[in-house]
Amino acid sequence: MKEFTPIEVARRVGQLAVSLFALLIVTFVIGRVLPTDPVGAIVGELADPAAFAAMRQKLGLDLPIYQQFIIYVGSLLRGDLGTAILTGNPVTKDLAKAFPATFELATLAVIISTIIGVPLGMLAALFRDTWFDQIARVVSLVGHSIPVFWFGVVGLVIFYATLAWVGGPGRVDTYLDGLIEPRTGLLLVDSLLEGDTETFWNAVSHIVLPACILAYSAMAYIARMTRSFTLEQLNQDYVIAARAKGASSRRIVIGHLLPNIAVQLVTILAISYGGLLEGAVVTEIVFSWPGIGQYMTNALMIGDMNAILAGTLVIGTIFMVLNFISDLAYLVLDPRTREVTQ
Amino acid sequence: MTYLITRSISGAALALLVSTAPIAKAETPANQLVIGTSLAQVLSVDPQQGTEPKTQEILAAVYDRLVYVDEKNQLKPQLAESWTVDQTGITFKLRDAKFSSGNPVTAKDVVFSLVRLLKLNQSASSYFKNSGFSADNIETLVKAVDQKTLRIELTKATTSEDLLYRLAMGISSVVDSVEVQKHFANNDYGNEWLRTNAAGSGPYVLRRWTPNETVILEANKDYWGSAPKMVRVIMRHVPESQTARLMLEKGDIDIANALTAPDVKSFVGNAKFAIDATKVGGFYVLAMNAAREPLSKPEVREALAYGIDYKNIAATILGPYGRPRNVPVPEDWAGAIANPDWSFQPEKAKALLAKAGYPNGFSLTLKTIAQPPRVDMATAIQANLAQIGVKVEIKQGNGADIVAQHRARDFDLLIPQSAAVMPNALGALNDFVTNPDNRAEAKNAGNFVWRSDWNITEINALRDKANAEADTAKRADMVKQLQEMFIAQKPAVLPMFERFEPIVRNVNVVGYSPNLWALNRLENVTKTAKK
Repeated sequence: MKEFTPIEVARRVGQLAVSLFALLIVTFVIGRVLPTDPVGAIVGELADPAAFAAMRQKLGLDLPIYQQFIIYVGSLLRGDLGTAILTGNPVTKDLAKAFPATFELATLAVIISTIIGVPLGMLAALFRDTWFDQIARVVSLVGHSIPVFWFGVVGLVIFYATLAWVGGPGRVDTYLDGLIEPRTGLLLVDSLLEGDTETFWNAVSHIVLPACILAYSAMAYIARMTRSFTLEQLNQDYVIAARAKGASSRRIVIGHLLPNIAVQLVTILAISYGGLLEGAVVTEIVFSWPGIGQYMTNALMIGDMNAILAGTLVIGTIFMVLNFISDLAYLVLDPRTREVTQ
Repeated sequence: MTYLITRSISGAALALLVSTAPIAKAETPANQLVIGTSLAQVLSVDPQQGTEPKTQEILAAVYDRLVYVDEKNQLKPQLAESWTVDQTGITFKLRDAKFSSGNPVTAKDVVFSLVRLLKLNQSASSYFKNSGFSADNIETLVKAVDQKTLRIELTKATTSEDLLYRLAMGISSVVDSVEVQKHFANNDYGNEWLRTNAAGSGPYVLRRWTPNETVILEANKDYWGSAPKMVRVIMRHVPESQTARLMLEKGDIDIANALTAPDVKSFVGNAKFAIDATKVGGFYVLAMNAAREPLSKPEVREALAYGIDYKNIAATILGPYGRPRNVPVPEDWAGAIANPDWSFQPEKAKALLAKAGYPNGFSLTLKTIAQPPRVDMATAIQANLAQIGVKVEIKQGNGADIVAQHRARDFDLLIPQSAAVMPNALGALNDFVTNPDNRAEAKNAGNFVWRSDWNITEINALRDKANAEADTAKRADMVKQLQEMFIAQKPAVLPMFERFEPIVRNVNVVGYSPNLWALNRLENVTKTAKK
């Protein structure tokens, strides 16, 4: 386990920058090599080649690829990620809108999946090979193997169209759309800040279903991993010793076992969260959720490189930052690393 | 203790919040129209740039044109109160109207808009360019006589009727020249600004456009006509068809206009909903590369025409989206000739292949956009052609890829779709019979026939003659002859299905009048009480 001295932190930040730069180069090259040409999407299918050439020049696509890259990195360093062809807006403005939508959904999903997944996995391990374990296994298997698309549509049919328990697709009902001035971009937070409870509850009714559906597949993974971590620990000597001392199962699990699997749990939670933040494309499409997954998909469809590159950078940064945070969490959760640091 | 206090405070807060929870309601307000659509292709609301159908629906509401084409394909006045046609041109009298900025609509604005169209030189301008207008001559052909009088001279390549139809298209929308000129940058005619903003005189103003999310239109208080009944029109991006279907059933949207064929079909027989299928005058086409062996042989092209099970594809895949037709003029339009014998007849197809020297068939690639219904059509065509010994490999791509390859003549077979430039036979034929110069150097990549490398000098000459012919009877004769020649030459641009754009609307929505270019005006839409 690494120490977290200022030097180490600086090294990590340096690593992050290098990795992001490498990511940028790869994405840039792939994007430029692909046959998808954004010019056609702008000038239209019937335009003559002169119009194509003029637009290509305007977008700087006529320059050699290395030159395009230098220009891109230059503006990037000035904080300018360019303009998205998709929307005509600066990419930063688009991302500032799309990312909070995904963030809100993913955060809720990861909370739900942790609250259910971790206890489920632990109980399944404790009651290994009993009916409970079997049911937990089936639940996880279903969550892991049935496509989210199917769950999304079926969920909408049952809970929205038939039972009317939840709101429909989109972040909020049409008649409330656009009434809240975005401050954080998180609709649940913004509506509460404005004291607009109608919008808040409406937004809750809209987010519940997609969040639960996303949470289900993440939960399946978390529960399965928790189960195997727990099983591994149950055979350890310290558990046997605790049992011999007469400690209750509850005490063993909460006092001894949980701290021991906490580090591993944090890692898989970070992975799950990263996966969800990446933009659950399918869920976002089924639920007309204007998040980063949908934004990137649309950008890919027309070869909108500025949008794709910026989105890739954001996702790359998220993964690396999550990784960094989960490493930091080791420090807190694992006493051995603490001693080394002291 | 602190724990207890925080807990009870947060508990009370939660209880308060819960007590405000409303009862779920799912119904659109009576004075608002909500349309579930796909905004994925809406990249620009500049009328002289955006040609995509979903864009047209926005332009229809925000801008006016001199004239419009109603749901029966009849020309009607819009900004022009009246017009007189003479031998050399058309003189328009404009009505009193104001742009949403408050500026009056004058003949100068119309001139500005048409000049802008040709100078911007985007795809949109091609419809005027193939009528003989160009960036160089437009300023001499379109003139403001006075504030309210406009004169447009005819070119040698067009008739007054054709010109009027072109003026009814979304690309001819009249923009507020004063407003747009304020936003000129880098010689772009205000394109950068008008791409995301609007400056029109239509019944609605563009309140908000969030790409890939919503378009909000609000009634224009200064509109020259009677005030729109719907104070707001909301277009919501619902990319997944099944989701849109559920929202429509539930009453969260009033109209769905981007449903897949199976989802449209699910509303058949449901008394609460009506299906309006608008005939757009265009076709789903099988483009063949006539420069490549063996497609260069007319017999081979005809064999393929005999090798496709149009009936079955229409019934199982296209449903409300298409109807079999191999002549590029919709069956019920004036002057359309009967369909040739081309239907699924594998024996005839094989005989033709044998005659052309390919008794054992051959292999081809078929390129298509990876979207329904075209990708499903490709699979069906692959299966059909296998039965006549033609092995087809399907290559899918996104819109931009496939169009780029089509433009670059880089394909064996490809499935594009055509559109009618006018709601008449000649307008529907246009994409199929125009190819002034087939040489590669001509780089006429906007032209469908050129892309197939199909040299049709004779047909093109007749097309030019027909377009310039003012005598209706003579013109009708030429139109008939054009269709016959087209079929006789075994087209490399083979029409397969007439295209329709189906929408499903709640029956309480009244007065929604579809137009073939999706320029659907909404000012007369009303909603009756829901049953």
